[in-house]
Amino acid sequence: MLQFHYDPTTNPLNNDEWSFPLFECIHIAMFAMSIGTIAIVDFRLLGLAFRRESPAELLKATSLWTLIGLIVVITSGLVIWTTDPVAYYYNPAFRYKCIALVGAIIYNYTIHRKTILSNPSVFAGALVGGVSLLLWISIVFAGLFYAFI
Amino acid sequence: MSPAEISQAIQDTTFFTGLRESGLPYPIVLSTHLTCIAVFGGLILMSDLRLLGIAMKNVPVSEILLRSRPWKRLGFVIMVTCGILLAGSKFASYYDNPYFQIKMCLLALVGVHAIVFHRSVYANPERLDNFKVMPRAAKAAACVSLVLWLGILSMGRWIAYFERPGDHPRRAVPVASSPR
Repeated sequence: MLQFHYDPTTNPLNNDEWSFPLFECIHIAMFAMSIGTIAIVDFRLLGLAFRRESPAELLKATSLWTLIGLIVVITSGLVIWTTDPVAYYYNPAFRYKCIALVGAIIYNYTIHRKTILSNPSVFAGALVGGVSLLLWISIVFAGLFYAFI
Repeated sequence: MSPAEISQAIQDTTFFTGLRESGLPYPIVLSTHLTCIAVFGGLILMSDLRLLGIAMKNVPVSEILLRSRPWKRLGFVIMVTCGILLAGSKFASYYDNPYFQIKMCLLALVGVHAIVFHRSVYANPERLDNFKVMPRAAKAAACVSLVLWLGILSMGRWIAYFERPGDHPRRAVPVASSPR
């Protein structure tokens, strides 16, 4: 059994009507920014949009916003997690989300980035973009599913 | 029939009852709704930041607006379809929820926004490519769009937190999951 010397009932988020949904809204808006900017590059890699720009140009245009989004989405996520850390810890969807998030971030800043900057073939680009998109969407799904399992 | 009875009748149809009581389809529809916010909402956000002249400055405005338009439209259709399914399956508790009502008003204002800024901004975005500093109309369109969409997102989340008089407080004790 995981031991915690922390009483979540003392957490301000559990004692204030507005703060919990406010952090949820920040979390959602910022995953729209981080995943949305990654999706712009992935759509290009898949050949679905922005074909006048190269994937590298789009990466350059969006990378700062992806980073800002990721920092805020993870920070707000951690704040939400403190409202009931033990229950989250034992939830399989939350565990998947954490592992997939670490994997997606590593993937985004290694394989994804290197492929884009190396002017990939259409097939390699589509593969890397498709995996990226699916990985990030699966994290959104996991975020919703831990309320249901 | 009163609005309450109509809402109850909608919620009680075989289709919406099935969706509400289903194990997997309901969370899948909800997750798809949120995925659309992530992917297509992100496109709206970046288009607005580009119109404000603060993001993606190395990409022409027209390129971002025109190339993302079909995807935003597709995303909007999927998002609204999922939203109708979600609201319909719990419509008796949604129709008089003030946050739901505000969300619907803001959605209607998105339509007004599109009409108001159609000529000055959205109909001919190539014109904006010639500006070094974005014209006022473009910035105004972006600001109004950001406010409307952030409002829609927030009100959507707050629907789950509306308490009618006599309801028990939802978060008196911690729970692992937020209200659905």
